[in-house]
Amino acid sequence: MFPPKTLLLAHHGTAGALRAEALAFAIAVPGATNIVHALVVPDFWDGMQGDDWLNNASTRDTFARHLEGQIEAENAQQIAALREHCEARGLACRSQVAVGDPAECLLEMARDSGADLVVIGPPRKKGEPGYRSRMNLETLARGLACPLLMAR
Amino acid sequence: MIYTKKSPALLIIGILMLAWGWLNTGNAVDGMQSWLLRSAYSDHLKVKEKFDAELRVATEIAKTDGKPAPQMSMPKSKFDAAKAGQAKLSFIFGGAFAVFGLLVLAWKPKEGHADYYLSVVPGFAFMFTIACVVRWWLDPLFANWGRLVKDSGALSWDFAKIFNLNYVVLGIVIGIIVANVVKIPAWAASGVRTARLFLKTGVILLGALYSATELAQLGALSVVMIGVFVLGSVGLVLFLGRRMQAGNSMTGILSAGVGVCGVSAAVAAAPVVQARPVDIAYTIGTILIWGVGCMFLFPTIGQMFGMGPVQFGAWAGTGILNSAQVAGAALAYDPTGIETLKVAEIFNITRVLFLPIIVVWLAAWYVKHEEGAQKMPLGEVLISKFPLFVIGFLLMFLLSSTGIFTPAGHYQGKYFSSEQVKEDNLLRPKEVRALEGELPKVTDVVQLQAVRELIEKRKLSSRAQDDSLKYVARIKDLDPLAKAAIEKASKVAWHDSKIIGAFRDWLAWLFSIGLTGLGMQITAKTIKQAGGKPLIIGGIVGTIKAVGSLIVVLLFVREFI
Repeated sequence: MFPPKTLLLAHHGTAGALRAEALAFAIAVPGATNIVHALVVPDFWDGMQGDDWLNNASTRDTFARHLEGQIEAENAQQIAALREHCEARGLACRSQVAVGDPAECLLEMARDSGADLVVIGPPRKKGEPGYRSRMNLETLARGLACPLLMAR
Repeated sequence: MIYTKKSPALLIIGILMLAWGWLNTGNAVDGMQSWLLRSAYSDHLKVKEKFDAELRVATEIAKTDGKPAPQMSMPKSKFDAAKAGQAKLSFIFGGAFAVFGLLVLAWKPKEGHADYYLSVVPGFAFMFTIACVVRWWLDPLFANWGRLVKDSGALSWDFAKIFNLNYVVLGIVIGIIVANVVKIPAWAASGVRTARLFLKTGVILLGALYSATELAQLGALSVVMIGVFVLGSVGLVLFLGRRMQAGNSMTGILSAGVGVCGVSAAVAAAPVVQARPVDIAYTIGTILIWGVGCMFLFPTIGQMFGMGPVQFGAWAGTGILNSAQVAGAALAYDPTGIETLKVAEIFNITRVLFLPIIVVWLAAWYVKHEEGAQKMPLGEVLISKFPLFVIGFLLMFLLSSTGIFTPAGHYQGKYFSSEQVKEDNLLRPKEVRALEGELPKVTDVVQLQAVRELIEKRKLSSRAQDDSLKYVARIKDLDPLAKAAIEKASKVAWHDSKIIGAFRDWLAWLFSIGLTGLGMQITAKTIKQAGGKPLIIGGIVGTIKAVGSLIVVLLFVREFI
């Protein structure tokens, strides 16, 4: 089990995710552990322009392109930052991006990557900035075939 | 990508609708319908009683004359007409859905237009079925329950009326429940997205129902109110955003959303102020939570203040942040007539016309305040944001002005003239007596004169008299017969054509389907994103806008135009 061969790290740039990153680095061993960076784009974005009925198709398309571009840029920034941190520690790292419910996506990624440890950040405290897209911990804990570690 | 999902759902919907049509045609559900359509059924009983008496007399006369019993058929009652209407719609749409349902099951779709258009039909059928269930069953059911609870003495007020539990609110609520609890089925997802098409078509058709005077007066009122409140709230958000250091992108998108027309404005403004995903999520969440709350709250407050169509339409059209919820609140307030919707939509259209101007303003503001921001081609932005459906609305208005939809002189008040009103349409003696009995309750001199004139002539004589009597009809504890007499006199004077009547019916269906579908696009996950500085700024400015416009409307807007 230790050191883990494949460590799935849920990371989307928040303060909690940075604590999960520190915990993962404390566990991972260079040369022995592969870090899989799991980046989930929450599915609430599906409903973000549903209620707009006054605009024409061109305005909606422009908005969709803008939003996709912004999300892509943010993801690329987070992927690059984590990769840089891993490289500095001599850890192998690859990233996976998924769109959907965070717990469901993480379960699928853990299955696909054959992770033997999943590390996540703590639930965000009320009032902390960030998206309201909480991880369903029960779904995740029950569905995982490997240990789950949560940073404090 | 293939959009059409193989599912028997559309076929099942079609068969169920055909079955409902067949049950109505065969009078198999009369017991249930007599309870749901109580008012129409009471009319049916009167028609039947009258017919039975006539038949009895005719049979006795024939018997005396030694002739065979006459063959007479009972005239159609409102109850028969309502059932026939439901059966007709059920057969037309049920038949079409069954055919398309078979096609969905039998056809192997290939990528292309045919696949996309076919994929839309099950979603439309889904929204239409919910609209039918709500309009034919749930709306009368809640109305009956409200009356029963009030009559039983358990409550002193009608909860269905006070909370506006009519087909509009129920349709939206069911849409929200479907999206958030049971989830939109995959076979319906493509069609549900067409909800906005029904709303836009509804607004275009609405153009046929305005007179030039109405459009001019409402247009002027809306330009003044929207001008003041839109520009005021955009300016206030820009000021508060900078004071609270919310960031230029977030302040820009929030000012459009809170100031102009909600989600639509946020969507239009986001690219020009380079809004980040977090700005968009916070802003749209804030607008939705505010809009949905207002949609349920405004009609109840309107009832408490006893507001008329112009007052409520003007208030909802100005004070509710999101334009979709403006239509919802207006229809929720006045589901049977569409007078409030007519006023609210003029305000909505004025807001949309302001949108390109505000987006250009924000683009210039953003470039000025954000370091390194790129200049936008302002002319291009102005043209690309122009709402094309407004042209459709104006075309319908122009067509209507030529008189092709309405009887000649309709809007000039042709039926105020004595020659045009038949004796049958004049007030009956018992209606006149009811009005005479209510004279002491009328305190206003002009309104008193209007009632006296109605008593004397048994019909309306002018638009001004009609306006005054509308105030009288809203007097608390007015005898229901006197109120009905005023409404009857007004109806006779304004005498809608069959085409206009049909337009009103189609409009109710279009908005019902559109708002049900729109309800399906309001998700708790999106609303939950409301937060941060946008929630604080949006809350402050939204409250000022709602309360400020309420005060202005109550103080300065006449109840009837």
